[in-house]
Amino acid sequence: MSPAALQHSVRFEAIGTTWQIDTLAELSAGARAAVVGLVEEYDGVYSRFRADSRIAGLAYGGTVELPPHGEHLGSLYRTLYRLTEGAMSPLVGGSLEQLGYDADYSFTPAGSPCSAPVWDERFDWTGNVIKAQAPVILDVGAAGKGQLVDLVSQTLKAFGYAEHTVDAGGDTIHHGLPITVALEHPYNTGSAIGVVPLADQALCASASNRRRWSDGLHHVLDATTGRCVDKVVATWVLAGDALHADALATALFLVPPEILLAEFDFEYVRVHSDGRAQFSSSLAGALF
Amino acid sequence: MSNAVPKPISRWALTTLAAASLLGSAGCAATPTPAPGAEGGSGETSSPATDGAEARAYADGTYTATGSYQTPGGEESIGVTVTLESGAVADVSAEPMPSNPTTEQYQGKFSSGIKDEIVGTPIDELNVSKVSGSSLTSGGFKEAIDQIKGEAAQ
Repeated sequence: MSPAALQHSVRFEAIGTTWQIDTLAELSAGARAAVVGLVEEYDGVYSRFRADSRIAGLAYGGTVELPPHGEHLGSLYRTLYRLTEGAMSPLVGGSLEQLGYDADYSFTPAGSPCSAPVWDERFDWTGNVIKAQAPVILDVGAAGKGQLVDLVSQTLKAFGYAEHTVDAGGDTIHHGLPITVALEHPYNTGSAIGVVPLADQALCASASNRRRWSDGLHHVLDATTGRCVDKVVATWVLAGDALHADALATALFLVPPEILLAEFDFEYVRVHSDGRAQFSSSLAGALF
Repeated sequence: MSNAVPKPISRWALTTLAAASLLGSAGCAATPTPAPGAEGGSGETSSPATDGAEARAYADGTYTATGSYQTPGGEESIGVTVTLESGAVADVSAEPMPSNPTTEQYQGKFSSGIKDEIVGTPIDELNVSKVSGSSLTSGGFKEAIDQIKGEAAQ
């Protein structure tokens, strides 16, 4: 074993996934409490599955004030909304509910797919304030988990744990000696299609193999149509932080990498439904 | 795959390359630009940004076009291949045609490799610290799916 192995682990369930934090030294009670508090607060602001969350109020329209980090989330979503020509949108919550991915997990489509509202028509997200002139169901699932991974990482640093891994169900940020991460096969979760080294970077994945509730229905939608995307089945993005890695992993379902590379610096792997994989040529690692 | 360490890209290179990438930006909105075969030859320099603004219907197929852009070192070209299916862009790839090493470095970032068929290797046989895939499902989601599977099986 490497002398610098992050051998102290804490696991917990939050925002619908399993988290694991690995550190060199055991996490103090204070650090633990700070992490748990942070995750609970984030969930309380953004969860689409909680009637008492702050964004739940937008179901009636109105104004919602987010924590300061809401500004980063909003401006990244706005940029990706532009680059994907509306296909990636936080307003997609209603479209997801229409297909059955609702707060009750009914998984029963309420009717034909419906497109998400147009951003600037009845919705404004400037700084950390959201204004909705009509009811909207916000879903920040495409980038929110990544941002929370970053916030947890920053909290660990603030408590003196400079070297750490934060892994939220496969969306990971790692600081310290490089670790090797396997890329899970989209059609066979027991196997990997490749490996990449990870150090001082975030790696996030998006795939339509899980959170799939019936034939052809899963959670990655084109917001302009409200339909599931099926030409791309899995993506991975390596970026400087998990907010960007998470958001770009979803955006890669909707537009070719070139569109996103014009404004963001990242590495990627993108698996098409026919089994071909597209990858950035400077990606370190191996695809099998 | 190379072991190259990702390098930061300077802003001007990204901005100029963005013009070439418009060839593929149409997505489902239509108006990709096919190779200018009608004008003769397959590599005539075109101005993708302007061509893309016109709404036209194109036959399905694979088209290649060359875009040019200005860099501090002079004019550079990039070849872009677009596959159309049902009038929408199904695939886009970019082929760098660098005339100097600096541009090659930037364009290498821009273009991508394609692996024809991915092969699975059992994760247990790999010496890895983590596995990254789609999010593990939440308790509620998993329960509901199990329930549906149970009902469907009856």
